[in-house]
Amino acid sequence: MSDLPAVEIRKLSKSFSGVEVLRDIDLTVNKGEVVSVLGSSGSGKSTMLRCINWLEEPDSGSVFIAGQRIGYNSDKQRPMTNREMAATRARTGMVFQSFNLWPHLTVSQNVAISPIKVKGMPKAQARDLATQLLEKVGLGDKAEVYPFTLSGGQKQRVAIARALAMSPEVMLFDEPTSALDPERVGEVLQVMRDLSGEGYTMVVVTHEMEFARMVSDQVVFLDKGLIIEKAPPEIFFTNPASERVRRFLDRQD
Amino acid sequence: MTEKAWMLLLEGAWVTLWISGLASAMGLVIGLAIALLRTARIPVVDQILAVYVSLARATPLVTLVLFLFLAAPTLGLSLDRYAVAIVALTINTSAFNAEIWRTAFLNFPRDQQEAALASGMTPATMFANIMLPQMIITSLPGLVNEMTFLLKSSPAIAIIGLVDLTRVTNRISAVTYEPLPPILAAALIYMVIISVLLKLQSLAEKMAGRLAM
Repeated sequence: MSDLPAVEIRKLSKSFSGVEVLRDIDLTVNKGEVVSVLGSSGSGKSTMLRCINWLEEPDSGSVFIAGQRIGYNSDKQRPMTNREMAATRARTGMVFQSFNLWPHLTVSQNVAISPIKVKGMPKAQARDLATQLLEKVGLGDKAEVYPFTLSGGQKQRVAIARALAMSPEVMLFDEPTSALDPERVGEVLQVMRDLSGEGYTMVVVTHEMEFARMVSDQVVFLDKGLIIEKAPPEIFFTNPASERVRRFLDRQD
Repeated sequence: MTEKAWMLLLEGAWVTLWISGLASAMGLVIGLAIALLRTARIPVVDQILAVYVSLARATPLVTLVLFLFLAAPTLGLSLDRYAVAIVALTINTSAFNAEIWRTAFLNFPRDQQEAALASGMTPATMFANIMLPQMIITSLPGLVNEMTFLLKSSPAIAIIGLVDLTRVTNRISAVTYEPLPPILAAALIYMVIISVLLKLQSLAEKMAGRLAM
């Protein structure tokens, strides 16, 4: 079980009203790996990420989370029920561009509710877990406040703690710093850097070149729905194989 | 006004309150059920509910009360006047409430739902823990507003002989030959009840405002 890749994407395709957004995508993310996904807007990188936990249902292809196929019950040869779907999604954690915290719950409740309602964790234990995770992201003192009192960077750190609370096999980040004030970006990236140091498996759709360069094990570049480059950052940033990536990198900085 | 007259007024007020209150409470739940069924978009059921909502909203309450009262025996239903009044008020208010709930449901932020699903919640768990608590808060101002409308239209039940807060003033003035004092007193009692509801509404709006941030 432990040798299985955290995420395996096979022949994934997706169209939105006739426009092919993903074309035959194959990608393997091993346990403990950090994969940064780069590409200009409209390249399909967010869609690919959202197909991993089936928030977006692909037209064809399959996704495996630690060996388990998502969206389709292979034993019974039929699409998953809501309950099966939820149980499989629970093995992934997602962090969104716009945080998506639940405003009617305190910060601590935002983190604790899924372990309680999905895993059936006792409330006291879930509260302790929330406290511990909020301390990990540097927000131990914010447990009892409501999300609207927080800055963007703080909200995003709560969202990371919330995703971690389900002990996922993989953390999916969908442009986690794109909605932040520039001076708030650093605190979120620092938390993500810490997670990678602790061995979390992460797939990060991002525009942060510095993060991709310093933290990832692999950099994947998408263009028009195709993965046109996959390389370790040392090679990706200094000697990319494709002309398209070279042009993309030139336009940065 | 005599003590006797005040007692009669309060009895009328009580009839108005409990009939409207019961209809409001049932209308809240039935309205939510209609809204949920409609958002599920089940063929035929959806059309039937849409017609129900349009008809119930388009029919004046007096007309509806009278219609039910006259139609019930024909349909083989033996409903007493109170039951007819409660059913009519409930039909009326649940149609308006259904639209309020449905708006809250349709306007619920998609990104919060995605966060819930991504964390492993089933749609039912998400509805109960993430959506409904917020829908209640955002809908409360509209729902309370609808309660005040229902209360103010409730004198319609007098048409089938129930003695509510408005009707009772007639009874009092028939004895005292002074129509003004009892109707003024009745208006005052309506205002007190409504102002309690309005206070509740402004509290609800404050809570809803906090959610929106």
